[in-house]
Formats: sequence, structure tokens, C-alpha cells
Amino acid sequence: MNTLAREVRGAHEQERKDPGSHITPVWHYLAVLATLLALLTLSAISALFPLGYWNTIVNLMISVIKTLLVMLFFMHETEARTLTRTTSALGFVWLAILIGIMLTDFLARSIVPPPW
Amino acid sequence: MNASVNEIESLRDRGLLEKQFDDPVQQREAATLGMWVFLSTEILFFGVLFASYTICRILYPHGFAYASRETDFLLGTIETGVLLTSSSLIALGVRAIKLDQRALAAWLLAGTAALGVTFLVMHGFEYHKEWTEHLIPGLNFARGGPYARAIELFFCLYYFITGFHSLHVLAGVCVIGGLAIRVARGAFGPERFTTLELAALYWHLVDIVWIFVYPLIYLVGRAG
Amino acid sequence: MVAIDADTHIDTAPRNFLNCETGLWSWLTTHDHKRIGILYAIGITFFFFLGGAAATLIRLHLVTPNGAVLDAETYNKAFTFHGVVMVWFFLIPSIPATLGNFLLPLMIGARDVAFPKLNLASWYLYIIGGLFTICALLMGGVDTGWTFYTPFSTMFSNSNVFLVIVGVFVTGFSTIFTGLNFIVTIHNLRMPGMKWFKLPLFVWAMYAVSIVMVLATPVLAMTLALIGLERGLGVGVFDPALGGDPLLFQHLFWFYSHPAVYIMILPAMGVVSEIIPCFAKRDIFGYRFMVYALVAIAVIGFLVWGHHMFVAGMSVYAGLVFSILSFLVAVPSAIKVFNWTATLHKGAITFEAPMLYALGFVGLFMLGGLTGLMLAAPALDVPLHDTYFVIAHFHYVMVGGSVMAYLGGIHYWWPKITGKLYNEALAKFSAILMFCGFNLTFFPQYVLGYEGMPRRYAHYAPQFQVLNVLSSAGASILALSYLLPLAYLGWSLFRGAAAGNNPWDARGLEWQTTSPPPTENFFKPPVVQDAYAYDQPAP
Repeated sequence: MNTLAREVRGAHEQERKDPGSHITPVWHYLAVLATLLALLTLSAISALFPLGYWNTIVNLMISVIKTLLVMLFFMHETEARTLTRTTSALGFVWLAILIGIMLTDFLARSIVPPPW
Repeated sequence: MNASVNEIESLRDRGLLEKQFDDPVQQREAATLGMWVFLSTEILFFGVLFASYTICRILYPHGFAYASRETDFLLGTIETGVLLTSSSLIALGVRAIKLDQRALAAWLLAGTAALGVTFLVMHGFEYHKEWTEHLIPGLNFARGGPYARAIELFFCLYYFITGFHSLHVLAGVCVIGGLAIRVARGAFGPERFTTLELAALYWHLVDIVWIFVYPLIYLVGRAG
Repeated sequence: MVAIDADTHIDTAPRNFLNCETGLWSWLTTHDHKRIGILYAIGITFFFFLGGAAATLIRLHLVTPNGAVLDAETYNKAFTFHGVVMVWFFLIPSIPATLGNFLLPLMIGARDVAFPKLNLASWYLYIIGGLFTICALLMGGVDTGWTFYTPFSTMFSNSNVFLVIVGVFVTGFSTIFTGLNFIVTIHNLRMPGMKWFKLPLFVWAMYAVSIVMVLATPVLAMTLALIGLERGLGVGVFDPALGGDPLLFQHLFWFYSHPAVYIMILPAMGVVSEIIPCFAKRDIFGYRFMVYALVAIAVIGFLVWGHHMFVAGMSVYAGLVFSILSFLVAVPSAIKVFNWTATLHKGAITFEAPMLYALGFVGLFMLGGLTGLMLAAPALDVPLHDTYFVIAHFHYVMVGGSVMAYLGGIHYWWPKITGKLYNEALAKFSAILMFCGFNLTFFPQYVLGYEGMPRRYAHYAPQFQVLNVLSSAGASILALSYLLPLAYLGWSLFRGAAAGNNPWDARGLEWQTTSPPPTENFFKPPVVQDAYAYDQPAP
């Protein structure tokens, strides 16, 4: 059972890539770290300027970019199979659904005054 | 990588291939997928706190801005830098073990754990400062004024979010510290590193959570 | 050495997963998914009867309008306990953790699940969570309802909320890890040739339910933790006196709890999709659409939670959105009902006990689903919310649906799991008795709700008594029909006839191995056919 299944599997998937075998150069990691720290400085400094609601938008966008950098390069999503990438996106998408639909309630409430 | 029948049996005998898997690639892919599924659950777990934060901030925009100014901007920023650096260290550590550079890998993992401890210590200083300023709801909260409720809500969420996050950091520090010791003793190598990869994925997620916590807690209303 | 082939009968066994190791310790430390499935079965049977005892108290009490059995506070504790135990310790684990654990690797031709040790850990988490809940019961119970609405649960209830919350929190992780295990198993451990669209619908149902488990349960975990923190510290985000919003709790709670009901129904649909083709001896009608419907129910089921909050103070516009989405989720469910019916058309139908349960499921699920549509319309929900109409609706889908399917599955795969056949006449009688007892119990509750009887009240207006008495009478018949299987299934373990590999002449990889299967599941590799290949002979 072991060997038969393995041989058949091997025949089917000769060229299947092994995501674990890829070695990233050191300077990739250091470049990503430098970018992350630069973005951190940017968000800290931009927070000191009065931009109204743009402060929040800029800071959250920077957070999203930092997250993508960590996921793509530190967590090796660039070499991962599609299934892994879909799984990683799913948590964020579901959280967006939770917050998004909750907002349809909290942003659309109207005060109904009592009839007396 | 197409292992022969003998190689597969050898891997099983050495405990490197579990009986439910047919080959090491399948085993590694399964482990990675399993960890990513778990990370998605963690995103939703913390997500509840972010969702609560979003709603409360919409209800009390000015109060939250006022309350955020009471947090420690410098400490929060440094903590973020510390976590980002620790992420790069563990990524480099996993790379080192794949290249059989065990001593380097052990030091990198130890460094990651050390930075994690640094994060927790700095956070401890933050909590202490907030204790002296009477900003802990339920224990010694003593703020008045028009924004009192909003400040209390903000700090409630602050302690919930940073509390759960710090627990995750602590768990990560313990696991990674333990793995650093095992790496130094030769338990891992180019044929056996999946556990390290999984620990690294977990640590990166802890970092990602903080990447979002930082602007939402420390950077609201700083320009006011 | 006994020669093993497709017709090998097990009287005194060649080795199988039951006799390979003996002793309690071998069971408590097993990594075998089949043994873990049986461990779960023992646990959920225990909790089923525990929750059933609470239901018995409730129905006894409701025989008279002024309630002679329980005082009001104890009544609150009784329905809370019934809900908590039945939802989290019976329904959610029932089919996935017992039948799913046992069958999933067999159906895909694997030797075990992807993470066997995690599987065992899941069972221990389930048991520990259960112990916390029983502890809460022994210390006086909880009176908040299984829905833990704030601020009552956080501020005003004087009962053991914290203990129950810890119990459910811990069991939640059991669910998450089971779902995780199944997702990875289905993606990575299918045998060569077992392509996605050759999988039995039971496997697809396990896949869909696992995705729901993994995405919904963490939200519950954190929400319960927030209740605990708020209760412990006296501050939090759900208390209006502190500027928080109790509706925030309801949103977060129902974001989990509505998908939770799909966790309960999707596996049941998977079981029924196995049984009906077998006893109609026909391929399932519209296999691909059955798959798409499962996935659609899983996804859309996440978008409808607000229909529990139409009258809670939520925005009317949000109510509109949730209502439309709730109508939408009925479409894939209906497609499945149509396809099961079409599978029966021109089939060679026989009425063994599993088939009786499956047919009962289709009818009762349909009734429950239609009344769900009525509740999805806000205009109807305004008078019907918090009445017995809602109770009847969810018992039709959960009990008439999920529990019947669970029992049908137990009967269908009993020969495979135990190697024994049960008494068919008793089983048929039991199934029909259950159908009659169920309808007598819960159909009057639709009428009661329509007439305005509120739920969770220890006393009711006298004009409701006749229907309440009918309902309680039905409950006693239902209780008997649940006890009977314990008797004849237990009897079959000692005196049942040997089952053989494939007593139903079914299709599916699990029927190509011995009954019971060996620890590694297959003595020789099974042959992969198209799903439900009833037009071809069994390999």
C-alpha cells in the first residue's frame, strides 16, 4: 500500500516543486527589513501632521503594505502554492466581511424618537 | 524530489516521515497548510478585537483620539521596530538551518526570542506607567471630563488587544527559545526543519497583528 | 495467514482496528482516527442524554400553565443547559467528529488523517470542555440562555457563567483543530486517482463544514473571552452604561452562531447524500450542483447572521441586507432537496432503517427550512421572534434534520465500524416511532408560536395548555425512540450477525475493506471509481 501509492503519486507529480527547498539570499531579508523600518518611520512621522481622516488612511495603508511584505518575503508566499496563498487571504477576507457588514448596522442607524 | 522506495523506508525508520504520508514533500506541504489554516483562525480571533475597536471608534472618534495621546508614542514605535527586526531574524534563522549552519541558526533563534522578551519588558514599562496614571479600567481608572467613557472604552480595548497579543508573544518566546536550544544540540538540519518553519510562520503572524495594533492604538490624534 | 479478499467475513477476526490492541490505555493514547471517532461517539452519546434530561424536565414542567415542576430561575437554568449541551457538546461534534473522523481517511483511500496526534488532542479538549460545563451544572447551573446575551450575562446574572464560558471556549478549539485536520487531510492525502469530483458528497460536506468551523469558531472564542473579562473586571465594550453596545455582542455572537447551525446541517446533508443513492441504487442526481450547493451554503451562511437581530435595535437597512441574503441561502438548500428527490425517481428503492432516517430527514428539513424562510422576512419576524415558532423551526432542522441524519449514518455505517448487523425490524420500528414522536412534539409548537406563546417563559397563558400537553406527549414518544437504538445497537455488539465487507452493496472506498477495517485501513489498495457508480458492479 505504501510503495504502490508512492510510486503512482511520483509518476503523477514528477515536476511538482518543493516550496521548502528554495533558499532566499540574505540581502533579500535585509532589504525587506530596511523597507519595513522605513515604513514604520514614515507612519510615525506622518501621524504628527494634521491630515484629518487621511492620517488613519495613510497609516492603515502603510500597515497593509508592511503586512504584504512580511507575508510575501518572510513567510515565503512568493514561492508557495496557490492553495497556501488562498488560505492566508481567507482570514483577512472573512474579517473584512465581519467588519463590513457590521458597519451596515452601526453606520445606518437612525434614532427613532418615542411617540410621546 | 522523487525519493526511491528505499529512501522512503529509511526516512520512516529514522522518524522523519510519519506513516500517514507517502513522501516528505507531502508531509511538509501538509504541515505548512495546517499552520496557515491555524494562522487564519488567529486572524479572526484577534479580528474580533479589531472589529470591536472599529465600532467603538466610530461611536467616539474624538474620545479615542484624546485617549490615544495618553499612550507612549516612543515606546510603541520602538516596540514595533523590535518585532519587525525579530521577524527578520527568525526568517534568517530558518534559512541558516536549511544550509546546515547550525550555530548561526541557534543564535538567530535565540536573538528572536531575546527581542521578544525585550518587547514584553518594554510593554511592561508601558503598563506600569499607565498604572501610575490611573488608566486601568476596573482597577484604578480615574478620569473625568467629557471623554471619560470613551477613554475607558479605549483603554479597555487597549488592554484586551495588547494583553492577548503579549500572551501570544510569550508563547512564541518560549517555543522559539526552546527550539534555539534544540537547534544548538543538533536536533534540526537540512532534512528536518519543518518545525522551525512553522514556528517562524507563527512568529510572523504575531508581528502582523502588532503591525495593525500600532497605528490604531498609538497614532490616533497625534497631530491634534 | 488468512487470505483476504473482497468477500472475507470476519467472525473470529483477522486483525482489525478493534482487536489489534486492547485495554483502556491503548484507547486513551490511540492515534487511530477510527478509535478516536468511537471515543467521540461515546462522549456525544453521553452529552445527548444529558441534554435530553434537561429537555425532559422542560417538557414535564410545561404540561401545566403555572408549572409544577421547576421554579422560574431553575427553568431558566434548564433551558440554558439544554441549549449549551445540545449545541456545543452534541450537535456540532456529532457527525464530523464521529462519522467524519472514522470515514474520511477511508473514503479518500488514506491511512489516517494528516495530524493524528492533533486529532487525539481535539478529543481531550472536547472532554475537558465538557467537564467544565458539568462542573457549572453541579455548582448550580447558568440562567442566561445558551446565547449569553449581554448585559445580563456580563453584569446581572448570578450564575456560573464563567465556568460554562471556559468549557465552551476549550471545546471550541477542539472544533477548530478537527476542521484544520480535515481540510489538510482532504487537500493532501487523497490517494492517487481520487480527484476532487470523484469524492463522495460526504467528503465534500466534511470539507465545507471544516471551512466553516475554522473561520467561525475563533470569533466565538474571543467573544466568550470578552464576556468573561467584562464579567470579571466590571468593564468592557458590551455594557451600555459604560458607553458600549450590547448589539456589538449580538453581532459577534451570531457571526459565529449562525454558521454554527450550518456546521450542524452540512454533515447531515453529506450523510443523506450517501444513504439515498445506496438504497435507491442510483447515482446521485446532479452531483456537481450538489457540490456547488454545499460550498454555497457554507459561504452564504456567513452573511446572514443579522436575521437573529431584526427586532434587537439593529438598523433597518442592515435588516434589509440580511433578509435578502437569508432568502438567498435557501436556494442551494432547496437545490439539494430537489436533487435528493430526483435521485429517488425511477430508483430501485428499498426501505432499510438508514433509508427511513434519510427520507425522514428530507421531509423534516424541508419543513424546517421553509419556516426559516418565513422568519427571514422581517415583517413576519416581528410577531414571531422569541416565540415557539422559532423553537419549532430550529428543532425541525436540527432534530428532524441533523439528529435523524446522524442516526441514519450510525445505522448505515454500523456494520462497517463494528462488523456486526443490528436487528432490522427493531431499527425500522424505531425510525418510524421517531418520526411520529418528533412531529407530535414539535408541530404543535409552530401553532403555539403563531398564537403568540413566548419562548423561555416558565409560565404561559392557559389557552396554550392543550398544545403544550400534546407536545410533551410527543416528547415522551421521541425519548423512547432515542433509547431503543441504544438497546438494539448495544445488543448487536454481542449477538449481531457478522456483516461482511459490503452488506448494503454500496459504492465508496470504505466498502472495499473489511468490516471492521484494519488499523492501516486497507489490506490492499482500493479501486477508485466515479462517485456513486451504482450502474457498475462493486469492485
